[in-house]
Amino acid sequence: MAAELIVGIGGDGSGTAAALTAARIASLMNAKVVLVFGYDPTSIGPRGGSLEEEILAVGQRAVETVRAELAAAFPGVEIESEFVKDHAVEALMRVAADRHAEVIAVGHGGGGPLRGALLGSTTYELVHRATLPVLVVPDA
Amino acid sequence: MSVAVHENTVPSKGLKGGSLGLIAVIVIGVASTAPGYSLAASIGLVTGEANTKAPFIMLFAFVPMACIAASFYYLNKADPDCGTNFTWGVRAFGPKAGWIAGWGCIVADLVIMPNLAGVSGQYLILLFDEKSADNIYLTTFIGILFIIAMTWICWKGIELSARSQVLLLGTELVVLAVFAVVAIGKSLGNGTTRVVDGTTYHSIKPSLSWMSPSGLSTNAITAGLVVAVFIYWGWDTCVSVNEEAKDSSKTPGRAAVLSTLVLLAIYLIVSYGAVSLLGPQFVTDNSDDAMYALGKIALPTIMVKLLVIAVLTSAAASCQTTILPATRTMLSMGSHGAAPAKLAQIDPKRLTPDYSSWLFGGISIAWYLVLVTVSHNTSTDAYSASIAAVGMAIAVYYGLSGVSCILYFRRWIFKSLKNFVLIGFLPGFGGVVLIYVFCKTVWDARNGDYGYGTLFGVGTVLLIGTLLLVLGIPLMLWASKKYPTFFSYSVDPPDLAKDPDSDDTLAAPLGTYRKKGRV
Repeated sequence: MAAELIVGIGGDGSGTAAALTAARIASLMNAKVVLVFGYDPTSIGPRGGSLEEEILAVGQRAVETVRAELAAAFPGVEIESEFVKDHAVEALMRVAADRHAEVIAVGHGGGGPLRGALLGSTTYELVHRATLPVLVVPDA
Repeated sequence: MSVAVHENTVPSKGLKGGSLGLIAVIVIGVASTAPGYSLAASIGLVTGEANTKAPFIMLFAFVPMACIAASFYYLNKADPDCGTNFTWGVRAFGPKAGWIAGWGCIVADLVIMPNLAGVSGQYLILLFDEKSADNIYLTTFIGILFIIAMTWICWKGIELSARSQVLLLGTELVVLAVFAVVAIGKSLGNGTTRVVDGTTYHSIKPSLSWMSPSGLSTNAITAGLVVAVFIYWGWDTCVSVNEEAKDSSKTPGRAAVLSTLVLLAIYLIVSYGAVSLLGPQFVTDNSDDAMYALGKIALPTIMVKLLVIAVLTSAAASCQTTILPATRTMLSMGSHGAAPAKLAQIDPKRLTPDYSSWLFGGISIAWYLVLVTVSHNTSTDAYSASIAAVGMAIAVYYGLSGVSCILYFRRWIFKSLKNFVLIGFLPGFGGVVLIYVFCKTVWDARNGDYGYGTLFGVGTVLLIGTLLLVLGIPLMLWASKKYPTFFSYSVDPPDLAKDPDSDDTLAAPLGTYRKKGRV
């Protein structure tokens, strides 16, 4: 079974640089890249429906763009994608655990630690909670 | 290449660790009802209508709201769309009535915004300088900033962690409870007397009869109810959270019951404390900032500050029951093609409806300024009137969801006693009571002696409560020309409504059923 590298992709395309780095590593070690979009529409009760559909559409567009970019730059690398209805950090950790992945690669938008702690930052939370290596790649 | 979409049965909601604990579920339910703010905004008005019987009204208003929660619970099983009343209305009544139900929900949220902004502005100033609290320019300015801040929070998708919520709500409840106990204590024995602005107020001994309706006229009960339904607005979140965590343990069921008891208890003791401290007249005379005026008499300065902070944080928390549902309804209407698609636009980074959020924030500010101008230049009290007006809007759209539930599930009502009670009787009873309260208020509020003043010869409550609702009709007719596809949807065939107690309860996507002969 090929080694797998998990990449977190945001709806705004954050994580593209991380995906490119992961794909480059994957091409060298004959591994697979898994693009993960985690989203949590349920800020008030379990109601999603149209909200969930709209968010998923945004995620699919972002992931498709990244996938096309990777396919062009590293044509030999196998790419999968997963859309997980959960808080982004939980989504990444669960997919990584389920797939026995080697590493989680995520982007970094340049916010400081205080901002990350107060306003929440997927990357900030992930590096403190992950049980496997996390690769942080600054977004371009 | 493969694409997988995973569903997580227990969404984490940022509450670390996955499952919602007992305390967390109670906190979410109580916090979205915002007891501190609800009391600050309504206790003076309820006491004005019901005098010493305020505790009765506070308790009684819970009955129809709890009945309607049953219909929310079941309709949510068929269609958990964020458009709630809008999508349920389309399924039960058809696209036109559904559109109006969605509009009613947005209007209710809009009507309350000036009060939320006004109370927050006023209490924020009271924290620092009591004398400036009457400065209308300052309170309005801070109120506008508050609306912008809340819209920003909703747009940003910021949620407090469970621990911060527990801390904030814990402070709020403790301060309210201490106030109530001290106030009741001061009314016992010889009682307390105060002279304020030349009027002498004396405390009265609390009596169990305050919890009975005897001696109250039907007019006073409905007038009190239309204000008091507002204090339980958002309580239905308890039911939603309950559903969400059902697989984790028995926690949620117990939590829903416990949070309801906590809420009822706090409303009961605080209304007892408020009425007994210096008598009901004092509460009525200070209805603009009743909790502050009462707190100042009962509590030491530091506790008064805490009380003010509790009202403020509670007001901020209540954006969960105002801005969020409004923008989610707008998104749902845009997404289902019943309104401009722009309303469904999602911010790619924050994954929240950005266009709807800022549109709602902007309209709220405009509406707030209209009410401030009206209140300042006429004898009418548009602020307080907006609480009664929101009660009307809540009554009409909650009432409609009760009727929707019966219509939608009519095939299942008589299948079992449990179904009859939970899907038929409770939603029906709650719906009838609320629609009666709405109609009675429309009738009673048509002239000036209802209170809150008049505008253009019509009672202000009636004007605010129905003007925006009625405005929905021409808008709906415009939308029906512009969006013919959506308006060709028909009601869901009742035979196809699924058993709400089975494993598969989800209805077919909205728009599956169309009127014959139209595309």
